[in-house]
Amino acid sequence: MKQTIRLRVNGDTYEVAVPPWRTLNEVLREDLRLTGTKRGCGDGDCGACTVLLDGRSVTSCLMLAVEAVGHEVTTVEGLATARDALHPVQAEFIAAGAIQCGYCTPGMELSAAYLLSRNPSPTDDEIRRGLSGNLCRCTGYQKIFEAVRRASDRLKGAAPPDAAAGDPAAGGPAGGDPSGGGARP
Amino acid sequence: MQYHRPTTLAEALRLVAEPGARVLAGGTDLVLRMRDGRERPDALVSLGRVAELAGVTLGAGSVRLGARTTLAELVEHEELGRLFPALLEAARVFGSMLVRNLATVGGNLCNASPCSDLAPPLIALGARVELASREARRELPLGDFFVGPRETRLAPGELLTAVVLDRPGPRDRSAFLKHTRVTVDLALVNVAVALELDRGKVARVRAVAGAVGPTPLRLLGIEALVAGQALGPELLAEVGRRAGDEVKPISDVRASAEYRRMLTGVLCKRALATAAAAEVS
Repeated sequence: MKQTIRLRVNGDTYEVAVPPWRTLNEVLREDLRLTGTKRGCGDGDCGACTVLLDGRSVTSCLMLAVEAVGHEVTTVEGLATARDALHPVQAEFIAAGAIQCGYCTPGMELSAAYLLSRNPSPTDDEIRRGLSGNLCRCTGYQKIFEAVRRASDRLKGAAPPDAAAGDPAAGGPAGGDPSGGGARP
Repeated sequence: MQYHRPTTLAEALRLVAEPGARVLAGGTDLVLRMRDGRERPDALVSLGRVAELAGVTLGAGSVRLGARTTLAELVEHEELGRLFPALLEAARVFGSMLVRNLATVGGNLCNASPCSDLAPPLIALGARVELASREARRELPLGDFFVGPRETRLAPGELLTAVVLDRPGPRDRSAFLKHTRVTVDLALVNVAVALELDRGKVARVRAVAGAVGPTPLRLLGIEALVAGQALGPELLAEVGRRAGDEVKPISDVRASAEYRRMLTGVLCKRALATAAAAEVS
């Protein structure tokens, strides 16, 4: 039987009638139409369904929607806090070319944002461990690590290493990029 | 299916006593089992709002881990890792970050998976579990809690409320080692040891291996072998040769029984050496 619950997602309040066995992933995608959150394996192994719950990264496929009541859910749609601006992690994923098919990207970005929120200066090993619950079957991860390193530099306010040197088409992260995360303090 | 979200332990215990009720903690196991139809509870009793079950409490002589403490909370705790290195290491390599943010201490233990990463260090550290029902409270050594795969001594209507550890003494050491092919995987074998070193010799020791039997197994022969001894290279080599004889692994898709026996020896030797900060060949 359905029960009406109130979910806080990306700062908005939604009232939805759900049976208790539906996962947060299903309700986000099918009821709230927030399809940025993907469904991959459905077993909690791949991380495509990652969302933040009170700022902590969790697999939304292993969580019942009713369990999210009273918590603040952030999906990739809510990662950027300013309108028309990307979160630094998102901007650096684009700048580093860390996206191929894109299916793992929302989950990767949320895990990366969570990692950097807890640990602004992760080592390479810490980045690898922090993203070890998010699988990418396209890229081989190298560009993803690079994007996280650059986002870390940007969030710390330092100039990121100029990885795009000699390739203006790659669009370096420094200045000039209107969609860059520079708008975010 | 009903869904309950009690806010007090008393209310939770009343609901858990109802026939067909199932406790929901982190959900990382139960939600999957429900989806696959392996579990069809009449009611879910969520522990998410029960304050009495939350968090780590450092007492004068003991440390209490509330049943719904997450693995991430164990890793992030400021004191816990210094007191219990084996527990910290096990929590650190437990699943992925995404799972550690959901999975709970109580859920992992009640799940009673033979390859639990949490059970061996807690048994080695002499942990006890607090069990409560509407009628009574009792405490059990965690080593006596497991009966078989997915089977524990929890009685119907009983809830695991906390894990209790004695504070370690100044000469207590512990270590945990796990072997997997890739980081986010179930253990092929894991080994935890906790020991007291007195003037270079092992005064007291517990060694526990996981994923090599129906429940986590105490390596009693190894404990007897090293008791009263200094952990020198020869003794450690002997541990490496003999620990595999004490376990009852199965062959499955992850590893053969023979390989698991060999790994048990290697990990046990290294865990003892790590705990004692001794040289190992």
